[in-house]
Amino acid sequence: MSTSASLGTFEDKIAYIEGKCGDNGDFSARRFQVFGRYPAALFGFSNMINPEMLNTNVLRPLMYRPLQLDDVDDLPPERLRDVLINDSLFFSQAKIEEAPDRWISGLVHGQSVVVIDGLEGAIVVETRHIEKRGIEQPLTEQVIRGPREGFIEMLGTNLSLIRYRLQTPEFRVHTMEIGRRTHSSVAICHIDGITNPELVNEVKRRLSKIDVDGVLDSGYLEQYIEDNHITPFPQVQYTERPDKVVANLLEGRVAILVDGSPLALIVPTVFSQFYQTVEDYTERFLLMSAIRMARLVALMFSLVFPSLYVSIISFNPELIPTEFAVAVAGGRAGVPFPAVVEVLIMEISMEVLREATIRLPQQVGGALSIVGVLVIGQAAVSAGFASPITVVIIALTTIGSFATPAYNAALALRLLRFPLVIMAGIFGLYGVMIGLILIANHMLSLKSFGIPYLSPLIPGNFQGLKDLLIRGPLWWMKKRPAFLQTIDRDRLGSNTPPEREARNVLDPQKIKNKQER
Amino acid sequence: MEPKRHITVIETASILVSTIIGVGVLPLPLFAVNAGDSGAPLITFVAVLFATVGVVLIAVLGMRFPEQTIVQYGETIIGKWPGRLGSLLVIGFFAVLTSLTAREFGEVVVTAVLKKTPVEVTVIVMLLLAALSVRNNLTTFSYIHYFYFPLLLFPALFIVALSLKNADVQNILPIWGNRPVGVTRGIITITALFQGSFILTSVIPHMRRPEYAMRASMVGMLVAGGLYVIIVAATVSVFGAEETKKLLWPTLELAKATSLPANVLERLDAAFLAVWVTAVFTTLLSSYFLTIQSASQLLKLKDHRMFSFFLLPFVFVMAMQPQNIVQMYQIIELVGRIGLFITIAYPAMLLVVSILRKKRGERVDDRSNP
Repeated sequence: MSTSASLGTFEDKIAYIEGKCGDNGDFSARRFQVFGRYPAALFGFSNMINPEMLNTNVLRPLMYRPLQLDDVDDLPPERLRDVLINDSLFFSQAKIEEAPDRWISGLVHGQSVVVIDGLEGAIVVETRHIEKRGIEQPLTEQVIRGPREGFIEMLGTNLSLIRYRLQTPEFRVHTMEIGRRTHSSVAICHIDGITNPELVNEVKRRLSKIDVDGVLDSGYLEQYIEDNHITPFPQVQYTERPDKVVANLLEGRVAILVDGSPLALIVPTVFSQFYQTVEDYTERFLLMSAIRMARLVALMFSLVFPSLYVSIISFNPELIPTEFAVAVAGGRAGVPFPAVVEVLIMEISMEVLREATIRLPQQVGGALSIVGVLVIGQAAVSAGFASPITVVIIALTTIGSFATPAYNAALALRLLRFPLVIMAGIFGLYGVMIGLILIANHMLSLKSFGIPYLSPLIPGNFQGLKDLLIRGPLWWMKKRPAFLQTIDRDRLGSNTPPEREARNVLDPQKIKNKQER
Repeated sequence: MEPKRHITVIETASILVSTIIGVGVLPLPLFAVNAGDSGAPLITFVAVLFATVGVVLIAVLGMRFPEQTIVQYGETIIGKWPGRLGSLLVIGFFAVLTSLTAREFGEVVVTAVLKKTPVEVTVIVMLLLAALSVRNNLTTFSYIHYFYFPLLLFPALFIVALSLKNADVQNILPIWGNRPVGVTRGIITITALFQGSFILTSVIPHMRRPEYAMRASMVGMLVAGGLYVIIVAATVSVFGAEETKKLLWPTLELAKATSLPANVLERLDAAFLAVWVTAVFTTLLSSYFLTIQSASQLLKLKDHRMFSFFLLPFVFVMAMQPQNIVQMYQIIELVGRIGLFITIAYPAMLLVVSILRKKRGERVDDRSNP
């Protein structure tokens, strides 16, 4: 590493910077005179910097002498440094860097570098300006009741969205750079005094071990820091909602944000998080408990429904009521395949259709979904491909998998449905049970940062059960989740309302009495 | 990395219950009725008491040596080679028990639902399932038992509750039986169904508080034994003693005879059998785990996992030895009786000798490693 001392003269420095960055078409270099006497040069990548700010806030004060120094006749080079930083540059993020490699890394980040003859080092000014899209509604996690803001690509904006909701100095952001070539900033967020410090250290350790050339999205990091790589189940949650990140930080988790990615990662993650939504907590508990149960039913549906159908139709039709069994058999009369093949064909075509609708441009998407629905539904039945009941089953399954809020968890269950259907086709209900046992055992052996994946169900925790299948009233959940082993365990004050002694201030009886008096 | 002591009392109790409740529940009323016709529930109850004695012995032994499994303290108590011989017997017995459980359930499945499937296939599927799951550590092992615990308790109770519609109390009167013949034999056979409780010897060294092992085993025996008595009582009161004698798996017939209200499912036997896969799986898991864990401890190996597939072919071949169901049940009864020596007499002998020789394991100070 070369220092500025070894670079020596003014021209040496210019040659150094030109040599590193000069080949680029978007690199700009401009020579000028500081205070009309010291030769200087300004460097920057022109498309990453804000030219207006550069002109008015950097170039102008450097060229004109500050008013308060008008009477000083002679400015020796030794004093130049102090004058520049203390009197001249009215720009908050400017500093003098000695090491030339810092200039280069500053330049590629969008900073401007000013080299002045006679000055040790160079002035590095934060002039980064990159076009960004506005803050929009989170597309993948819509709510009816709750905040409407979603993350965007810029890390700084995302951090400000979090800090705006979490206005405490204990909210800590630790930044690091990952990616040998992309140098992406990664922010590790937690709340000091809540999150277990061991967890924060472990997250930092796992992240610092990553040595790849590029990190283009938080999804890259997820695959490096998860505990078990060969499992369909996600062990890291992602979200594009700042309020969800804040809620998780308050529970004692750690959030990881990457510059350039609108999705924050949340660790550690347990399975129950994947069917909970923000809305569960913003709407009243009785209603949301019911809706959460419905979501769980949908989750189970999306996993086992087709396989149960196949095994009952092919092996144990005596289980279902006779009239219905007859109806099912009648519907299947024209279908040449066994039930398992029929279901598999329909499932696969459903998956193809779903994938196609995601990839297609929006204008065509509508048309495709109509055609697809027709093909999958009516036409398949009349062509003798599938029985009407199969179509009902497939439709229920697909809808069920859409009801799971987390896309990656829904994907896991969608995937596991296929081996289950095949097991059902071979062994009937027995096979389905074997498959489910394998899945359950696998989930029981999973861990996310040491936390068993099915916490708080297994290992059991009474506090946790209040927010597992139902969503208990907020004032029931006095403690943060025990499995996160937070420093500060209490969420609620000791005697927080609900208002127990509600005063009926507008009781009509009272008013009548008053009037009579 | 793995904290050594983490299994709670509830988890221990659920391990016991889900290990004990297994495929044995299906022919249980038949064994009981053969021994004491209408006195079947009483016979079962007595057998539960006997089995409890065995569990108490194991718990007391385990609490005396809270750091060790039976393979390890066996050597301490009666010397190196006799202890190893005892451990070898335990390993052999549980390997046989695993194979017989797999075979018995394989036969049930083949007879009741998958009529065209060869029994080899159902047996090997169950064994593979156990072998795959046994590769986890003891933490996951206890999680698995804890997770399935409600899944095997409630369907059984559910069937019993639904069958009460057809029950007649007269069928179980007089409760001491009409002309009991072969009472002792029946009690022994039923007691043998509780042999899975031997898994306690592997669990105690990992309990958070080994001194509560007795409480856990009492809870476990209460739940499992209670369920056994209830099932026998329900079956006999629905079918009557003489009818039950003609049924191969009376509990399954009980499920067949009941139907859900509102006719959602017309028959429950296939559904019951499907749910029962979990019960059998947990039993298999325990006995296979005990086998390979003891084997690896006998050979002083750190990791028990290498045995999981190594022993599989042997277990499978043993499972295929009985020629038919009749011979299989003869073997099961015989093995059960031999097993009582291993699961009750051997620990009893160890306990007596350890008291006489004043041997004790190191006490754990659980405050120091929470």
